[in-house]
Amino acid sequence: MATITGNLNERPARARRGYSSLHRLGELAIESLIRLCGWSAILFVFGIFFFVFREGAPMLFGGLDLVKFFTSTDWNPVSKTPSYGILGLLAGTASVTVLSMALAVPLGLGAAVFVSEFCSPKIKEALKIAIEMLAAIPSIVWGFIAYMMLNPLIIWVTGAPVGLNVLNASIILALMSVPVIVSVGEDALKAVPDSYREAALALGASRWEIVYRVLFPAAKNGLLAAVLLGIGRAIGETMAVLMATGNANQIPTSPLDRVQTLTATIAAELGEAVQGDDHYRVLFVIGILLFVIAFVVNLSADLIVRGIRGKQNA
Amino acid sequence: MPETAMRGNGSKHFRYFVAAKPNGSTGDGTPEHPSRSIREAIEDIRVRHAGDSPSVQRLNGYDRIDICSVFKGPTTSDTKQRYEFFVDPLGASDLAIGSAQLPWPDLESALEGVAKMDAEGAIPLGPGEHLSLSVREVFSATPVDRRKRRHERIAQVVLGLVTLTLVVPLVAILGHLVYKAWPVLTPSFLFENPRNQMTAGGVWAPLIGTFYLVFISLLVASPIGVLAGVYLNEYARDNWFTRVVNLAVVNLAGVPSIVHALFGVGAFVMFANMGESVLAASCTLAIMTLPVIITSTREALASVPMNFREACWNMGASRWQTIRTIVLPNSINGILTGVILQVSRAAGETAPILFTGAALYMTIPTKGLRSFFPYSLQDGCMALSYHLHVMMTQVKGASPEAIEAGKSLPLEHLQYGTAIVLIGLVLTVNSFSIGLRMYLRSRKKW
Amino acid sequence: MASVGIQIRDLSVKYGEKPALREVSLDIPPNQIFGIIGPANSGKTTLLKCINRTIDFVTTASVSGSLLVADQDVRRMRNVYELRRRIGMVFPLPVGLPMSIYDNVAYGPRMAGVRQRGELDVLVERCLRQAALWDEVKDRLNLLGTKLSGGQQQRLTLARALSLEPEILCLDEFSIAIDPVTTMKIEEVLLELSREMSIVLVTNLVQQARRLAQNVAFFNSSRLVEVGETKQLFTKPREQLTFDYVTGNIG
Repeated sequence: MATITGNLNERPARARRGYSSLHRLGELAIESLIRLCGWSAILFVFGIFFFVFREGAPMLFGGLDLVKFFTSTDWNPVSKTPSYGILGLLAGTASVTVLSMALAVPLGLGAAVFVSEFCSPKIKEALKIAIEMLAAIPSIVWGFIAYMMLNPLIIWVTGAPVGLNVLNASIILALMSVPVIVSVGEDALKAVPDSYREAALALGASRWEIVYRVLFPAAKNGLLAAVLLGIGRAIGETMAVLMATGNANQIPTSPLDRVQTLTATIAAELGEAVQGDDHYRVLFVIGILLFVIAFVVNLSADLIVRGIRGKQNA
Repeated sequence: MPETAMRGNGSKHFRYFVAAKPNGSTGDGTPEHPSRSIREAIEDIRVRHAGDSPSVQRLNGYDRIDICSVFKGPTTSDTKQRYEFFVDPLGASDLAIGSAQLPWPDLESALEGVAKMDAEGAIPLGPGEHLSLSVREVFSATPVDRRKRRHERIAQVVLGLVTLTLVVPLVAILGHLVYKAWPVLTPSFLFENPRNQMTAGGVWAPLIGTFYLVFISLLVASPIGVLAGVYLNEYARDNWFTRVVNLAVVNLAGVPSIVHALFGVGAFVMFANMGESVLAASCTLAIMTLPVIITSTREALASVPMNFREACWNMGASRWQTIRTIVLPNSINGILTGVILQVSRAAGETAPILFTGAALYMTIPTKGLRSFFPYSLQDGCMALSYHLHVMMTQVKGASPEAIEAGKSLPLEHLQYGTAIVLIGLVLTVNSFSIGLRMYLRSRKKW
Repeated sequence: MASVGIQIRDLSVKYGEKPALREVSLDIPPNQIFGIIGPANSGKTTLLKCINRTIDFVTTASVSGSLLVADQDVRRMRNVYELRRRIGMVFPLPVGLPMSIYDNVAYGPRMAGVRQRGELDVLVERCLRQAALWDEVKDRLNLLGTKLSGGQQQRLTLARALSLEPEILCLDEFSIAIDPVTTMKIEEVLLELSREMSIVLVTNLVQQARRLAQNVAFFNSSRLVEVGETKQLFTKPREQLTFDYVTGNIG
């Protein structure tokens, strides 16, 4: 029973204190600052593309023969008659990406399934921390590992003369991409409603059957996005492949061949290129190419993920 | 040979046929050659399904044996069930009569019981009728179940091994790094500058440089990133423009680090005329971390339920008041975690600082207050990540004589030492963020 | 406490193209419980949102017409926050803010500028008593508001609504997510409170309106169908539609 105490009539006369105008002014100032930061962030975000484009544009729309750019392996920027064919570099990037994904995708998806469906909560915590640690290792350290530890190991196992090659870079890139695939893949599996799992269990399915009959079809978009993000990581990596590929511009015929990637080329040659001259600008053009590839890959992954989220809310 | 059929759940169904009227010939239980009598059928069953010889087909799961009386009907499967008996190893009690409530404990005693009833004439079978003996091992595995369980076990082992292939290299690598770096891991390694053309000394100058770069870049990026996240999640109207911006921000997190370096050169070194300096390098790192800070801030803000905000609005609080008193305090955890993770990323990245400010070597004071603030914003600085790169590619090892004389250390030790310091720094920051996350998760308020 | 009435003239609201309210004209007298009944999507919640201008937060909404509270057109009011402080609102889903019970009730006054601890103490106790929650929580005012049960959180919401001494109290289907005992308690509170403030009670429980309200308005698919004294509306309504709804034939 609600009782209103006698205090009601004795309460301190509280004038209805409103918003003092000073208050309101301070608040307007803060809100303007927030809006400013919002807009500046937008500016920076588009600025990244703008400034890279600006430095490379003169060559891109000027002297660069785009057909030769993409189809010739003749990369000779510092000769008297320079040529800028990046086919060899494209092959380098493609080969390490393909091989590393061949390693990383089964490992990553397998680990994602294990962490999500097959292990106990305690092990799950420990594994997630381990995978986060793996993800935290800086790329230069991976380059160090490739150069100092994996290099002699490959020589010892395969008998190749040099241990810096496609194989080395692929193993390192695989280890670098797996955490991305695992975490995004695990999110995708977690997003499948529990009611699907329960329905399958009620029909007598084993955990493995639930995984490949129910979860994979239901989560295939998210898993695809995970793989795409892993690919994006592998394509964009610079310092690790700089140390691991052996830096020889050629189209590889075996995993033990040395290659050179697009990213490593920029890292290796920008320091020596004279600012403003053709070589310098072509390196920026390569940068534009990398930007576009990475952006497209990430965008597709993002749209695929949003697609499922949209469908689930529908 | 009895008629055998497989049922849907993997159990077997055996049918033994007996003649409706005793005839002379011995049969084998098939509809064409039925056994002479129920007793003979029972013997047949005993031989085939009970006993110890290896050719015996033991019954389990939901298997069933029918003794059917032959009749001249259209198909042999249309027999009518007249009697039903049960065998259940788990349900056996002292009193077993073969009913559902009191089943026989095993096949032998079941056959005995049926034989006894037959001898007493209690179970005559008219033409077209059958007697069924069902094994009811409820909750025991049928062959299908067993196969599934096997597959599941295999899957679990395989996937466990797969996961192990990720964890084992991590442990092995860290172990190997520590082992190789052990000789140099002394406090002086941290606090001394590199000297003698990087053949001796420590990593103080690069370490301080990294702190400079990280501190300045986060000083720039965090406020802008957090407030931008607040704007995008709390103030921006939901139209096509904000959606494009959100898309752009999220996907810029995936830009290759070398492209960030190119941006830094184009925007800060050239356009803003900062030259190769601490300022240019810090700004480049700031732009690198900005998209991720914005995204993680937005996620943290979005995790605060909408009805908290509505409750406040309905009480007359303004948008900013609501954000200040409810939204931000309850999302600060997520925001902080996001920022801390970017700290470790900024400390470890090499490419963005390669051409924007990282210096190969600079002499800085090693003692006194100045050793903590050696760099100016306009000049370059050393950085731990770049230093590791330099140690791998541009430093010649010391001569054996110099090592003997104690003036220099073996190159390998220095290299591993630098790597360990960098990885230690990064992993420490990350563990801090993980610990923070776990602590805050335990203090969840709703 | 003063108490004011609401005059609504030709109020129309559209969410994009969909009409939510169509030319509603209504007088809500002061100092009584005014019931609003009707099936789902008939515009009842939209009406409440217009009264305290939280319709502003719905970006797709377009509003026309006038709505006067204490003879001031709320749509033209500049200080919207003041308006919202004078109108208390209770929602269908109980909401406990993630802070102590004390801070929950003190939130509104603090935002309005009340800082003195003594004043706040008195205020918190009074509001919790009014909301029939004081006895249950007086020893644990530091407990997190989110840890209360649903019924307690709803009373906490009521206490928060009362903390600013509103002249109008609006309740939007307050009882659908709570237990019958708490509902009864709150209904008793409302009857007491109606002596000093105007209460607008939106409900889908026809019997609740019958029990509590002096006048009732019946809405159906965004139109006001009929308004009148409770007794008259429930026994001899003028419209067939009203009759069908209150007898349970539709809705």
